[in-house]
Amino acid sequence: MSRAGVGVEDRPPAVQGERALVPSHPGREASRVQRFFARRGVQQNLAAYVFLIPWLAGFFLLTLGPMLASLYLSFTDFELFTPPEWRGLDNYVRMFTDDRRYFRALRVTFTYVVVSVPLKLLFALALALLLNRGLRGVGLYRSVYYLPSLLGGSVAVAIMWRQVFNRDGLVNQVLNVVGIEGPSWISDPAYALYTLVALAVWQFGAPMVIFLAGLKQIPQDLYDAAAVDGAGKLSRFARITVPLLTPIIFFNLLMQMIGAYQAFTSAFVVSGGTGGPADSTLFYTMYLYEEGFTNFEMGYASAMAWVLLAIIATSSAVAFLSAKYWVHYGDS
Amino acid sequence: MGTKFTRRRMVQAGGAGAAGVYLVGFSSRRRRPVGAAQDNVEIRAAGFVESQEQLRQTIDVLAAYTEKNPAVAISPEFTDYDSYVDKLATEAAGGNAPDMMSANADIMGEYSRRGVLRPLDEFVPDPIDLADYAQGTITGNTIDGQLFGIPNDCIAPSLIYDTTIFEQTGIPVPDQMWTWEQYAKTANDIAAAMGPDFYGTEDGGFSYIQCDMFLRGRGKEFYTADRGLGFTVEDLTEWFAFWQGLRESGGAPPGDVQALASGDDLSRTGIIAGRAAILPQLTDTYVGLQSLTENPLGIHLVPNGFDGGELTQHHYTYAGNSSSVSAQTDHADTVIDVIRFMHADPEGIAIFYRGSGLVPASATGRAELREAGSPGEIRVLDYIDMVLEESAAPRNPAIAGVSAILRRMNEEVSFDRLSVEEAAQQFFDEAEARIS
Repeated sequence: MSRAGVGVEDRPPAVQGERALVPSHPGREASRVQRFFARRGVQQNLAAYVFLIPWLAGFFLLTLGPMLASLYLSFTDFELFTPPEWRGLDNYVRMFTDDRRYFRALRVTFTYVVVSVPLKLLFALALALLLNRGLRGVGLYRSVYYLPSLLGGSVAVAIMWRQVFNRDGLVNQVLNVVGIEGPSWISDPAYALYTLVALAVWQFGAPMVIFLAGLKQIPQDLYDAAAVDGAGKLSRFARITVPLLTPIIFFNLLMQMIGAYQAFTSAFVVSGGTGGPADSTLFYTMYLYEEGFTNFEMGYASAMAWVLLAIIATSSAVAFLSAKYWVHYGDS
Repeated sequence: MGTKFTRRRMVQAGGAGAAGVYLVGFSSRRRRPVGAAQDNVEIRAAGFVESQEQLRQTIDVLAAYTEKNPAVAISPEFTDYDSYVDKLATEAAGGNAPDMMSANADIMGEYSRRGVLRPLDEFVPDPIDLADYAQGTITGNTIDGQLFGIPNDCIAPSLIYDTTIFEQTGIPVPDQMWTWEQYAKTANDIAAAMGPDFYGTEDGGFSYIQCDMFLRGRGKEFYTADRGLGFTVEDLTEWFAFWQGLRESGGAPPGDVQALASGDDLSRTGIIAGRAAILPQLTDTYVGLQSLTENPLGIHLVPNGFDGGELTQHHYTYAGNSSSVSAQTDHADTVIDVIRFMHADPEGIAIFYRGSGLVPASATGRAELREAGSPGEIRVLDYIDMVLEESAAPRNPAIAGVSAILRRMNEEVSFDRLSVEEAAQQFFDEAEARIS
């Protein structure tokens, strides 16, 4: 199994035969856990469901229930303390025809997704490539680079970011040394969003670790064979590493994109909860929060949440559709 | 794909673990009830404070109460104003409002209307006697004839200034009764004398309380008693133009400098960070601000009119922080007794009011503060007494979401994204949609 998933068509037949073992057990998945249960019959599935009850209860009561409630509320005028009043599509109509800030929030969010996600993935991949070499103490480096992601959406990091990019913060102090007087990054609408992009890129640890796992899966003999055939470093990277890594790139792209659409904490803390200066960091979720919890427009906020879900679903669908043109699974 | 994603699973598991740790950490951070006892009454007391000092005194006074009344346990949940407002909205919507809660005029306006607060008239004058409380604090807390909060303090609109800047530049501190034109001139003079990157005054264009003072000088008001706007597009255009003029002349900071002071953090204000001499603020932040700087701070009236016009006292006192009671609580009597302890019991007063920066709303409380207060507290007290001598009617409660539109429009002007006329018009477009 260890070789499965890569360059099947280049393999000798014996290797393909190995792979063929798995599909020859119809109805069974590759997972060891499931095979374990399958061997012990259906009753064991029942046991599994019993163990799943806490999760299922949580899902139906705490996730699905509130989701459906919010779907209903999105068609109402709900001011939080008075019973919701049915308004049909009013909230959705207002969103797309009569709300300039909504479009601002959309623009800010799209910019953030389009800029931060590719940068973060590039950064993560570059670091993963570096750390994939047999350096001494590489485990330590991996942990250190992963650390910012663990601090992740924390308030403390966002506060630190505020300090770093302040008018007399670390960044400008460094720029000062080389004689440049930097702007006040976080309080200038032209730059504020990009400090948040930088914050997102800095938290590249999770995709990096996944890339690293992917890189480890690429068999060394492919590189060896290519080297024998005279392929240089660059062409080995472009023709072996990247194609074989595309499933991982795709996975990371999807996860990071979904995460970026939902970004909230960094903007909330850095802008002091306003999405400012001048709405330049008004993420979709920030505006949603403001409408819901500051202005008590819960119906409208619910409608915004559902449109965000639709936007994320559409973006993901586009990503999946595009995947067949650039993602290469070893077994296809 | 085989084992390809095992590492990812490990990462996920690690992530879930980290999230678990975070949650545990979060829940253990919640304060446990102070002084739990058997067959006790447990009440949740939530609210906002203006400074670290006030936070300490508030928690201490609640602890002192439970020490004297072991059958009562109180969970204090206090934070800064913005965080509190968000938290209260969530809790109240979930039917889980705290038994005892801080409120100011704006919170009382919204939450009394929505049935979250309990009218307190039945508890006055017995056990809570408000006879010698400043009138503005009581009228400000009375909505549709019902009292919704016991005033914890007595505050007023003001301009807080750094006295050392005035000494340093030799610019005299103007008379307390002054005009908006004099304010602008003073700010410009200071900026000119101090050189680049220093501003006479911080931008007050965002503040509906300052704007209300400006409008009072024009015979108008910001919010009306019946949840409306008491001014016109022209008035607001003048307001934005006043501040835009100061930005252009260097008397007030440009947008990107002013934005450094966003949020509730006093240490970020220009007067503390050393880039401005005057800060438009309410008096309740004075003690907190003073604790952050060596320079003695002064308190000045906001301008009371315009050049060539008559100067009339438009200032008022009202409660910046009141204690309100949830309409749902089963322990209203206990909550009222806690409030009585804070307001009327000598032991409670000594803890709650000393060093917290709160100026008591009661005349007795203020007289005691004059005896025992710190120099800073005495300065606030002097200012409040001056306003109390001739006090105008307190402002009306704000309407949720409208004050934020003013801040945003002022910001749009400061970043040259809208002209003053456009900003004023857009304010009305958005605010009217919000009110209807």
